[in-house]
Amino acid sequence: MTHPIDLLSAFLDGELAAADQAEVANHLHGCASCAADLQGISRVRDWIRGMPVEEAPSPLLPALRPPRWAWAAASIAAAALAVGLVVTPAQTEVLDLDTLAGQHTARVVVSPGISSIRGPVAGR
Amino acid sequence: MNDHSVPTWEEVARDHGRRIYNFAYRLTGNPDDASDLMQEVLLRVRRGLPGYTPGSFEGWLWRITRNAFLDDIRRKKRRPTVALPVDDRSALGSVPAPEDTLAESRLPEHLQQALLALPFDFREAVVMCDVVGLTYDEIADATDVPVGTVRSRIHRGRKMLRGMLE
Repeated sequence: MTHPIDLLSAFLDGELAAADQAEVANHLHGCASCAADLQGISRVRDWIRGMPVEEAPSPLLPALRPPRWAWAAASIAAAALAVGLVVTPAQTEVLDLDTLAGQHTARVVVSPGISSIRGPVAGR
Repeated sequence: MNDHSVPTWEEVARDHGRRIYNFAYRLTGNPDDASDLMQEVLLRVRRGLPGYTPGSFEGWLWRITRNAFLDDIRRKKRRPTVALPVDDRSALGSVPAPEDTLAESRLPEHLQQALLALPFDFREAVVMCDVVGLTYDEIADATDVPVGTVRSRIHRGRKMLRGMLE
């Protein structure tokens, strides 16, 4: 076998087919040059594999996805704002949006120099 | 996880988040870039999971990771490689005295600088193999090259590192 220089890393990683793995191993027994190369490659591999594992900043993952309750709460709040009321979980009757919209209108109160919107106001 | 199950997004984030971050960190040498890349990868995973067909999950995940990294490189309009001659140590800062070389070359910051000096294809292959722990087949799948090319890139990458560090 010629010097299996390009196969040494794959040999080291156990990534060769069994026959090739055995052939390279056999060659290494009688070739000091390839054995030295293998040692050098092995040292480099050990250094890289021994580099410290870096921790991802902890806020990363939670920031990606707020907890489900937060989504649910946000959705309910958005829906309540859209119709101008808050629906409690205990309320079981069917709500008619047209009727509710008529009952919940905004009243504009204008004072000298001040404008504001007050609402919702029920019973109009 | 076996290849025939579809993980949830939470499982991917929990089980692979650190590896994705370390892959990005070793490729870029920059914690901020690594954080950005990890965020982007996890978002792409969340978008892609509904369409994921059980198979080589590692290949699927690392293809996404690699594409996110390359997209980021393109977006920032910078080249992913800082190609140097194998024996050019000048890019690694001051050259230590010979008796100090072996001891100092094992310091993480020197190893990181040496990694960054590798051409991108070799750096990527070495990082996927020795930092992430992928097999040659998984790297070939993720990078869309034949396994023989992966074998060559890993070996040449390690030889270049050896030339810089010893």
